Amino acid sequence: MGKGEKMAGDCRPNGQLALGGITVVEFAGPLGSYCGKMFSDLGAEVILVEPPEGAGMRRKAPFVGAKAGQKSLPFIYENGGKKSIALDLEDSGDRKEAMHLVERADLLLESFRPGVMAQYGLGYDRAKERNSSLVYMSISLFGQDGPYAAFEGDDLTLMAMGGMLYLAGYPDTPPVVAYGEQAFGAASQFAAIAALAAILRAEATGHGERIDVSVQEAVTMGLENAAQLYDLTGRVRRRGALAAAQAGIGMIPCKDGYVFALAFGVGETGQRQNLVKWLTAEGVPGVEALQEECWARAEFLSTDAAKQKFDSIFRPFARERTRDELYVGAQRYRIALAPVNTPADVLRSIQLHSRGFFVDSNMVEAGVPFQMPGAPYKLGETPWRRAGPAPDLDEHRTELTDIGGRAAAADRGE
Amino acid sequence: MMSELPLAGIRVADFCWIGAGAYTTRLLADLGAEVIKIESTVHLDSLRLAPPFKDNDRGVNRSGYFADRNSGKSSFTVNIKTEEGLNLVKELIAQSDIVTNNFSAGTMDRVGLGYDTLRHINPAIIFLGMSTHGSDGPESRALGYGATITAITSLMYLTAFPDGLPAGTGTNYPDHIPNPCHAVFAVLAALRHRRRTGKGQSIDIAQTETMLALMAPGLMDCSANGREVQPSGNQLPGSSPRGVYPCAGDDRWIAISIQTDLQWAALIDCLGGTALRQPDWASHAGRVRDCAQIQSEITKLTIGRDAGALFEALQSCAIPSGIVQNAQDLVDLDPQLDHRGHWKRLGHKEMGRTVYNGLPFKYASVELGPNRPAPLLGEHTEQICRNLLGLGAGEVEALKGRGVLS
Repeated sequence: MGKGEKMAGDCRPNGQLALGGITVVEFAGPLGSYCGKMFSDLGAEVILVEPPEGAGMRRKAPFVGAKAGQKSLPFIYENGGKKSIALDLEDSGDRKEAMHLVERADLLLESFRPGVMAQYGLGYDRAKERNSSLVYMSISLFGQDGPYAAFEGDDLTLMAMGGMLYLAGYPDTPPVVAYGEQAFGAASQFAAIAALAAILRAEATGHGERIDVSVQEAVTMGLENAAQLYDLTGRVRRRGALAAAQAGIGMIPCKDGYVFALAFGVGETGQRQNLVKWLTAEGVPGVEALQEECWARAEFLSTDAAKQKFDSIFRPFARERTRDELYVGAQRYRIALAPVNTPADVLRSIQLHSRGFFVDSNMVEAGVPFQMPGAPYKLGETPWRRAGPAPDLDEHRTELTDIGGRAAAADRGE
Repeated sequence: MMSELPLAGIRVADFCWIGAGAYTTRLLADLGAEVIKIESTVHLDSLRLAPPFKDNDRGVNRSGYFADRNSGKSSFTVNIKTEEGLNLVKELIAQSDIVTNNFSAGTMDRVGLGYDTLRHINPAIIFLGMSTHGSDGPESRALGYGATITAITSLMYLTAFPDGLPAGTGTNYPDHIPNPCHAVFAVLAALRHRRRTGKGQSIDIAQTETMLALMAPGLMDCSANGREVQPSGNQLPGSSPRGVYPCAGDDRWIAISIQTDLQWAALIDCLGGTALRQPDWASHAGRVRDCAQIQSEITKLTIGRDAGALFEALQSCAIPSGIVQNAQDLVDLDPQLDHRGHWKRLGHKEMGRTVYNGLPFKYASVELGPNRPAPLLGEHTEQICRNLLGLGAGEVEALKGRGVLS
């Protein structure tokens, strides 16, 4: 990163930056890192305030190359274009420096334990005195208050406490956590929308906001229908419920791995007719059974008889074909069926490359060019772009501090 | 002093249905936008007929799944396959700020409501399309749901135990968090641009791509180093041991994640016994090496214990841990969610008071939504015809008679 990373993907069209002119002061932490990235990629200036030893994420695996201590890939990904300043918040001079940054910010983003920012003299009340239109965002594991506010946790334990973990896995295995620390990502995403909505209002009214995001509550947004199932019927949704819900849903073995299908859709759809057309065209034995009227009813689809019948027709057909062959057929006949891909498959996806999804990074100092996920949204007038390389620790001190600012002004003869 | 909701005064003409789209516009409603759900009684939002139903009685106004994703919206039924119906919708869009859909790519163009048409009706309109694969590319027409998106993005493959079947989240996860959140963020950014320039714009989201944006490390490791990350169950580099362990009762588990040697020492004391007191295991490297053995020793110590009591004991020793909570725990028992007022109970005309997810964030100055239940099918059709489209009672009746408002 630093000066060595050239951004091959940074060819900015003529569009403007949707979040240009917004300044974010992000106190580095894993809960808010992706939130800062979302702002940076649409044009905000994001100042990453790191401790003197650097943000913890700089030491997070996987790394470029074989060894720990090399450049962290998650750090590179989530900090593109951010400006770094190292401040020791135990030090009063550095705290003053931090407050100077906050004075000119639109958004303060912090994810310390509840109360820590106030101990540093950087709590909401002090910040608001200096900057009344500031949006002050706190992300914490359980929220700023309540009986669990001081509790410890990580992504796994929060996926547990928020309820997504209980739903994931098979009935005969322990619960298994989603890849990619999705609980922290969820908190960051909800923080981003809460913050941007408040900034829009602050820009119109001059009034800032204090916002309190709970990782646990962010995870409960992913329960699908489990809370309502319990509320309306008293039933507790178990692991494997999606696949057990009705015929045609689940993992289906094929020649070179698995495909995952929702062969009749979700709820009541017309997709059964598509399925019949596909299997008829392929000459699959027994397909006429799916024409019977009972298959139109969700109640029948959820019976063991329906599941066994579907499997007896579809599985022998799938076993003789590759993931790609099945996916091509499913696309043609409009069936919700997809290959169970590996990351290498994803990197080869013709669809993703056709949309220019991946962004190239040229790591000169590490000697390996590589690709990373690019735009999660295409805005016609104000395109997403990766704002630049991830910063070296304290790389932007001169530009960001009062001393630096004064020196630069002196250089310009002001 | 209470302040205004941040999206007060913003109107959304909402064609979203089923999962991801519906949660997107629900979030906009929670933030104060007026969301008009444009529906058809012929081509129903299939989520209206997705269980669970109130009293197990199937009906278009009785699905709890639908209700949670559509709180705070108005429902306007109209047949856009009639010329009159299509014109009513265009009139509504002329008075709206945002148009949203999560149909398959090309559908809005086909029904005469593509961005190129709508921007002539309303140049400041923000047009959000969030199809499975985006608006272009060879697979753009492929049908998908949240769960198939987890398959195609490798989330399903990577969420599994080593040597186990790919498992995934067991849900249509991208519909619930990654897609709604990214879509709302993009819409808010476009609103800011419009405020500064007067210009609307079109936003194209591929639901696969928002999911992949949250899966970067594995893809980058593969691309940069040629290393293919493999499923590792509940393990994570840097923490050890990290896993879930059975407790007393039916399908009860506790999650524990040890990140430091100090936490490990505290865990040994907290769980008791002597089996974990191996000098080799005092260091992270030793614990990584003997991870399987450690997991089985911890299991012996948790298996008879009550998950809730164990959680309190572990937390009193500052050990990162959590009960693997089920829906009953979350809705009825969790004191933290109760303290935070997370669950909202809203009164619905047919379903009565039922549970809705509250937002996972709070504003200090104003209470955010949801504060109105999901709409009945077509509940606000007449009101919208009169108040927004300027139609008299007789005209509304005539349109109904011709099947336009169905």
